[in-house]
Amino acid sequence: MDRQIRREVSREYFSQERLAEHHFRSFNNFLDRGMQDVVDEKETIDTDIGDKEGQEPVYVELGDVRITTPRVREADGSEELLYPQEARLRNITYAAPVFMEMKIIRGGEEEPETVVDQTETKVGRMPIMVGSNKCNISGFSDDDLVQIGEDPVDPGGYFIVNGSERVLMTSEDLAPNKILAEYDSKYGDEIQVAKTFSQRRGYRALVLCERNREGLLEVSFPSVSGSVNFVTLVRALGLESDEEIVHRVSDDPEIVKFMLENLEEADVQSEEEAIETLGERVASGQGKNYQLKRANYVIDRYLLPHLHEDGVEEEETRSNKAYYLCRMAEACFELALDRREADDKDHYANKRLKVSGDLMKDLFRTALNKLARDVKYQLERANMRNRQLTVNTVVRSDVLTERLEHPIATGNWVGGRSGVSQLVDRTDYMGVLSHLRRLRSPLSRSQPHFEARDLHATQWGRICPSETPEGPNCGLVKNFAQAMELSQNIEDEQGLKRELASMGVEGIPGIEGVDRASADD
Amino acid sequence: MSQATTACPECDGRVRTDGTETVCSDCGLVVSADRVDRGPEWRSFADDDTDPRRTGAPLTRSRHDRGLSTEIGYTRVKGRKRRQWARMRRQHTRARISSKRERNQVYGFTEIRRLTSVHSLSEQVRDQACSLFDSAQEEDLLRGRSIEGFAAAAVYAACRIAGISRTRAELLAEAKADENELDAAYDAMNRDLGLPVGPIDPVEYLPRFVSDLDLSAAVERDARAHLETARDRGLTNGRNPGGVAAACVYAAARDNGEECTQADAADAADVTPVTLRNSYTDLRE
Repeated sequence: MDRQIRREVSREYFSQERLAEHHFRSFNNFLDRGMQDVVDEKETIDTDIGDKEGQEPVYVELGDVRITTPRVREADGSEELLYPQEARLRNITYAAPVFMEMKIIRGGEEEPETVVDQTETKVGRMPIMVGSNKCNISGFSDDDLVQIGEDPVDPGGYFIVNGSERVLMTSEDLAPNKILAEYDSKYGDEIQVAKTFSQRRGYRALVLCERNREGLLEVSFPSVSGSVNFVTLVRALGLESDEEIVHRVSDDPEIVKFMLENLEEADVQSEEEAIETLGERVASGQGKNYQLKRANYVIDRYLLPHLHEDGVEEEETRSNKAYYLCRMAEACFELALDRREADDKDHYANKRLKVSGDLMKDLFRTALNKLARDVKYQLERANMRNRQLTVNTVVRSDVLTERLEHPIATGNWVGGRSGVSQLVDRTDYMGVLSHLRRLRSPLSRSQPHFEARDLHATQWGRICPSETPEGPNCGLVKNFAQAMELSQNIEDEQGLKRELASMGVEGIPGIEGVDRASADD
Repeated sequence: MSQATTACPECDGRVRTDGTETVCSDCGLVVSADRVDRGPEWRSFADDDTDPRRTGAPLTRSRHDRGLSTEIGYTRVKGRKRRQWARMRRQHTRARISSKRERNQVYGFTEIRRLTSVHSLSEQVRDQACSLFDSAQEEDLLRGRSIEGFAAAAVYAACRIAGISRTRAELLAEAKADENELDAAYDAMNRDLGLPVGPIDPVEYLPRFVSDLDLSAAVERDARAHLETARDRGLTNGRNPGGVAAACVYAAARDNGEECTQADAADAADVTPVTLRNSYTDLRE
């Protein structure tokens, strides 16, 4: 292609909307589905009303969530549409009211459940990305934009909070729900570890499977201090016989040998025994019944949460979990036998980008939890004072608003990350464009991290090889390549699995339900 | 600023405060310059990862402890220490409220915050309402009356003092208090605290009614003119200000050919159509 044609192609490619396209897509997605997903996850707000005798329990059911376009409520009480330029000039927040369907339900103990009150109420205000679907200027022509005082070439893709423009920095995280095998050292010995960041609905759990110097496998996961013997855990998950366990891990004779060593050392033989042993670990010093209950709870709640699925009983995923752990064990052994190399953390296949919509989803989740706690408190209070329980009087809309605006204004995100939102670089037009297409690694800039800063071959076509700051941030702050396309997570997981099954992908033999194959993300 | 300058001493133009300078927006004269940083107190750290601020949030009237309370943080500790911290945290939150009165105040302030946020009222109004509630407690007015009533009345009074009156119905729609509680509380406050409120100017209602009824800015302008004449002719005296405002909005809407029935306008003002009609016919005479 000669230069003229190339120029034309890239000009076409970078027609206005494409510059901050990844931000729009991600945020629109959050508005269309993400918000409702978070509300559906929450489902209900339970209260302590009814714990006392003679009272019927009360809970709140959360329904549809709806968001309008940004508007401003003046001091005199009138409400008008808000345009970005006005928000900038008046130092106010470009935010839209969020409404939610709520139902207060009483009863269920002795009396039948009755709906006490049901309304759609304003739960707070959500900052809106300039140029997104819910933005008041979306779909305006250049002339319209000039008419209302907007810049027609402004790329959008940022938020306006208290009059200052804020971009949410795209962050580059290690891919969740993938097995990463690597070497580690413990007490001077080299050991092999398989790691998985298991993530589901904002809950993130690191599961480690390591082969210690005696060649024994140990698994550690949240809520259990230290580590659990691999065989014990797998038996607790329902994989009982020696043969089955070995077969599940690998058919390779050398790995089978390793596995048999492990089984010889095993201190439990049956599922029951295994759960008892686990119970002693997670609730030592408690009653027997409580230990069993706790052990089952821990397994179903904290171990590999990404293998859970909507509409599937938690116990039914146990065999999947056992299988997944066997895959991790296999990775350890293969690494020990030099059958494979350690996984490369800097490989771009092992990276995922968190764009504005994902970040807003995290934020909305914690904000909604905070609101739920407040509603619970208000309901209990109103009930104690013998007041009529109504939706309108128990929702404080400033709770959610504050939780959403404050992190965007300061950059202090949930989970203790700071610097997530930054003031848009308005040095010049190119500065803005570059800023919107920038991404940041969460690694600390005060440590060397030489490998992470290096240009990796897999960044080809995705990350610009030359644009990175000099100094401490070098290689940690990157910029998108010109024609980079960001793919998105699948909307309908079940649909994907069905589709894969129809294309001939087979599930794990011995596990019922063909479309519940190993979820390698 | 040394003092709030309202006009340029040279050309009487409007002045604008921008950062450290107050500048005339017409002739460009720098009326005053002030290099004092009025933001939160800070000192510089070489490490810009930490928050350079040295102090917490400013004191506020809208919290029972003026926002001065401390919290025991959540640093990661394990085992015995964690349990000890949890116990200390529990005791600490319990010790935050020392008396029944303070507990009531917390409840009242929560209700005030809720009401002001629902109505998107400013922080000044919220703080004023909170200090009114505080004064009412000081005067022992709450005895035998409801906290919810006083919270709603405090917001209502604060709005009237700020010159952005809300109607009782508007407030009651969101408040936990019922009509009787609000009236009792407001009467008591007005009597014993001597609230600096006069009769409500119907103009305060106009923008809200116009936006509630989805009418144009032209209607609002005309309605203002109508109100002006009504006031000159003494039609506002002794009448429900909401009714007069609604009548003017209705008249202006008719003049502009915009759709608005008497019932709609009366509904927005929470008056009967009859009240509206009386003012309307007088206005048209």
